[in-house]
Amino acid sequence: MTATERPRRPVPARARKPLYVAVAVIAVVLGAAHVLAWQATEVSPGALVDGWRGMARFLGEALPPDLDWDEVVQPGLEACLTTLAIGLLGTTLSVPGALVLAVLGTRGRHPVVYQLSRSVMSFLRAVPDVVFALVFVTAVGLGPFAGVLALVCHNVGVMGKLWSEAVDEIDSGPADALRVSGAGAVQVLANAVLPAVVPSLVGLLLYRFDVNVRSSLVLGLVGAGGVEFLINQSIQLFEFDQMATYILMVLVLVVAVDLLSAAVRRRLSD
Amino acid sequence: MTTSLDSGLSVRGLRKSYGGRTVLAGVDFAVAAGELVVLLGTNGSGKSTALRCVIGLTEPDGGEITLRGKSLKGLSGTELARSRRTAAMVFQQIHLVRRRSALDNVCAGGLAGLPLSRSLAPALFPRELREHAMACLDRVGLADRAHDRAGRLSGGQQQRVAVARALCQGAKVLLADEPVSALDPAAATQVMALLAELAHRDGLAVAAVLHQPELARRHADRVLGLLGGEIRLSCRGTTLSDSDIEALYAPDRVEEA
Repeated sequence: MTATERPRRPVPARARKPLYVAVAVIAVVLGAAHVLAWQATEVSPGALVDGWRGMARFLGEALPPDLDWDEVVQPGLEACLTTLAIGLLGTTLSVPGALVLAVLGTRGRHPVVYQLSRSVMSFLRAVPDVVFALVFVTAVGLGPFAGVLALVCHNVGVMGKLWSEAVDEIDSGPADALRVSGAGAVQVLANAVLPAVVPSLVGLLLYRFDVNVRSSLVLGLVGAGGVEFLINQSIQLFEFDQMATYILMVLVLVVAVDLLSAAVRRRLSD
Repeated sequence: MTTSLDSGLSVRGLRKSYGGRTVLAGVDFAVAAGELVVLLGTNGSGKSTALRCVIGLTEPDGGEITLRGKSLKGLSGTELARSRRTAAMVFQQIHLVRRRSALDNVCAGGLAGLPLSRSLAPALFPRELREHAMACLDRVGLADRAHDRAGRLSGGQQQRVAVARALCQGAKVLLADEPVSALDPAAATQVMALLAELAHRDGLAVAAVLHQPELARRHADRVLGLLGGEIRLSCRGTTLSDSDIEALYAPDRVEEA
């Protein structure tokens, strides 16, 4: 049978015409936004091409990395541990606050409670962690502790929002089934909602741990310590080969955290 | 007859409408302890809504629901919840917690009787509850799968776990909303046979919404047919005729929502 012999039927007209006008308007608006953004950020490919020598010199100075054990590698490893510790505590200590806000910020709560919880989370998200760090530096002084406090504040807002959305997305069936059996609200939460959301909550927690470890780059700027603090220092001293070593260490650290979280999430998924 | 009705379910003048569309226009029916009643009808005929009103998932506009001789009218708060607890429901979508074991899911049926401190995690459930749940699992023939994750069981097995959860709740009135619609024919027959046995041997009052007239014929003691929000058919399961079924599902009567 050749293609021409295949049965054919006319396609009936669609009741609703596609919104050509709307699509065109959206395309024009998006295009205009990109032009404005191009101008606002002073994008200039010519400058990039002309300045390639500067980049090459900078990279040339960074390579090969300085692998001096006493001067660079050992302090770098110690700083990596500090970075990891800041990320770990910044994540773990934000769990209780995030959990409370997430539960209060799910759909179906009293509107006032819902809005209040959403507002608190928005506020914590809107304030950058580096601002929290500056605030806490004035209280506890420069150092990793201020970094931990800053991460906790910011992370409560972000993780609370991510968690409440994860809770909103689950199937409400098992919860309904327990509710009609006479179980109380907390019992339903503990026995139907939590078991269903724990995998995604833990996945998001690990994702935030990953982000928080990397966030100490900015926190290093306000003296929160860690390997990123050393990166800033080496840049200021024009020791770009040391900087390269530290960046490699951060790379290994971030990849290790990512592998760990991927492995845990795989185990958790059903 | 009245004594057995007292220990079952009776519904009088149940009314419900959604935004002007009447789903239940004064429905009366009763399910006695020891019988399996099947509700048939097209999609949107109100059979599921009737069960959801009984269990409290939907608020009826009017009518009276009586469970084991006790009217729910005028009750509220904990008293209403306590009276409702004598009824349990199993669902088409089964609604088990897939990550938990079959046994833990069955235990969850008994949460209402537990203090909060013993109910927050399966590890805290009292031994008495776990052993009762084990007996309920045994009743549905799944004692050997107690520690399997619910999500790993077949559809039919999952629905039997859901029935065991209802038993663990101590329910005397069992409502089943399309319990076999998602199951293959063999599993469907098995679940319906279980529901019939729970009525006949254990004395439960069982009301099941079905879409398969054949299963109703084979397992139901009585069949009720809903059409346009009213009961239009009431007969013994064995006497359900083809013309009865045709009248209920007549294509010109079907209003697609």
